[in-house]
Amino acid sequence: MSARLHPVSPDARPGQAAVEVHGLRKTYPGGVEAVRGIDFQVVPGEVFGLLGPNGAGKSTTIGMLTTTIKPTAGEARLAGFDVARNPIAARSVSSVVFQEPVLDKALTGRRNLELHARLWGIPPSAAAARIAELADAFGLSEVIGRPADSLSGGQRRRLEIARALVSQPRVLFLDEPTVGLDTRIRYELLDLISGLRGRTGMTTVLTTHYLDEAERLCDRIAVMHQGAIVALDRPAALLAGLGSELVELRVERDPAAALAAMRAHGLAAEDAFAVGSTLTVPVGRRPARDTIAALVGLGIQAEAVTTRKPTLDDVYLRLTGSRLAA
Amino acid sequence: MTAIATVPPAAAALRSRPRPLATWATLAGRRVMLSAHTPREVLAPLVTPLLFALVIAPALARMIPAAGPGGADYSTFVIVGTVGLLIPLTCTFAGIGVIVDRAGGARRELLAAPIPRSLIVLGNMAVAVAVSVLQITALILAGWLRGSHFHATASGIGWFAATVLAFTVFMYAVAEILANRIPTQEEYVGLTPVVAILPWFLAGSLFPVTALPGWLAAVARALPTTHALALLRYGVIDHGGAGLHDIWGLDSTTACATLSLLVLAGWAVVVSAVSIRVFKRSAMN
Repeated sequence: MSARLHPVSPDARPGQAAVEVHGLRKTYPGGVEAVRGIDFQVVPGEVFGLLGPNGAGKSTTIGMLTTTIKPTAGEARLAGFDVARNPIAARSVSSVVFQEPVLDKALTGRRNLELHARLWGIPPSAAAARIAELADAFGLSEVIGRPADSLSGGQRRRLEIARALVSQPRVLFLDEPTVGLDTRIRYELLDLISGLRGRTGMTTVLTTHYLDEAERLCDRIAVMHQGAIVALDRPAALLAGLGSELVELRVERDPAAALAAMRAHGLAAEDAFAVGSTLTVPVGRRPARDTIAALVGLGIQAEAVTTRKPTLDDVYLRLTGSRLAA
Repeated sequence: MTAIATVPPAAAALRSRPRPLATWATLAGRRVMLSAHTPREVLAPLVTPLLFALVIAPALARMIPAAGPGGADYSTFVIVGTVGLLIPLTCTFAGIGVIVDRAGGARRELLAAPIPRSLIVLGNMAVAVAVSVLQITALILAGWLRGSHFHATASGIGWFAATVLAFTVFMYAVAEILANRIPTQEEYVGLTPVVAILPWFLAGSLFPVTALPGWLAAVARALPTTHALALLRYGVIDHGGAGLHDIWGLDSTTACATLSLLVLAGWAVVVSAVSIRVFKRSAMN
């Protein structure tokens, strides 16, 4: 699936960030602090990921950026437009693909796209051409005349992404775009989103709790935990902090004591961590087999020992002490 | 499947901020398209008033051979009265669309659009007014075919039309508020008898409000539905304005009608403003 789209921000000022967030905070009634003063910038054309589990504050952040949630403090701008002071202008330069389907199911795919175009002020002739191009590129030409509720889950998701692109947004928000989809459709969609990346000049802000999605699609990732950004960097840089290999062992009896013993004997550093009965130990430059051999000498009785490359899940575990996704 | 052809650089510049009137028309058009897929939204509210107008009212008229208030035959009196049931039922059914939009997720797309959010309410309201007008036309036509006698004059039709507009706007705004405040469709539908039907029985639909006990008559005079029914009858069957005099007790029928229309318009404006505020507050966390 190939999508070649024209850069959509010809009138963007050079050097201006597509998304600017400063001290953004949201406290819900009752005192629940969903977002605790976050800062980040996304440059034009970048694919930026907000990574975290449910409740980390990703959707609240997207809600504030798309002007459906009122920030308690701080400010955010889309293509220079303040989302609180100039929400209509901010919405005019952005589109959202929501986590849940939001199509008018009784209407045809074409009607859904046409409505989006009209609401975003696209002239009918330009909209018709754009819809035809998107339908073709997203493999929807055969089904675009059918009611949305007669489409398969994958077709509906593609239709929603196509709809978001009709208005040629400068900033595209993808809020957990593959949640609830089966594996085949999910990979299809990842190909599609990946196809948009780097060819459109469009800035994309993606929220996900799937690590492979973030690693595959994003230029940079902000790891969110309990409403705060705990790390922000390129996926490779985040992974590099854990070295090239790690040892994972399951210790049923007193894993904390086992970790302490490994640290005391120099087999584990401060970046090693325990979650339940599983110890994860970055080995740095030491060969993993040496670490495994040394465990026997310490008398640690491990149920299972494996070596593997670090993943973003390990990064997240190290930063937050909780597992990101099953 | 082919690659998307490059859009001319001018394409993005062609995008203009949608104009309010065009946006309003687009939102109303969307609601029309959705209603066309669920014809029960249009037909269901018509059933009860038609039953009243074509079956119950003529049957009652045979038992009550005397002319109704203002000289109209009783059947015609009730037919015009059923407009006061038709409009609340239509608007209540239209409110279900608001809940469906919210529950089905489509409202989120509208909220993400670069449009004033008040237009989302006003677009739906426009369709409720249009559907009400169609249904009232069908009801009056059915009544006329059944033998009812209407005395239509230009000014009378003007009063009638203004009343239909103000009362529909008021009732739709009530429905919008309820639809945004009530979490489920089941709870909302459960309120329909209270909102749409109960006031109708008190508002002089089947008999003049003066026939009610004193305290209940006082309550009835405060109901927008009472003012609406009196104005509707003044417009097409009772140029003496018996219902209006029952409310205001003034000598001048025109003054009574003006006051009732002002009351109705006032309710429509205030409740519409509240409905827009409630919608915006429910849409924003």
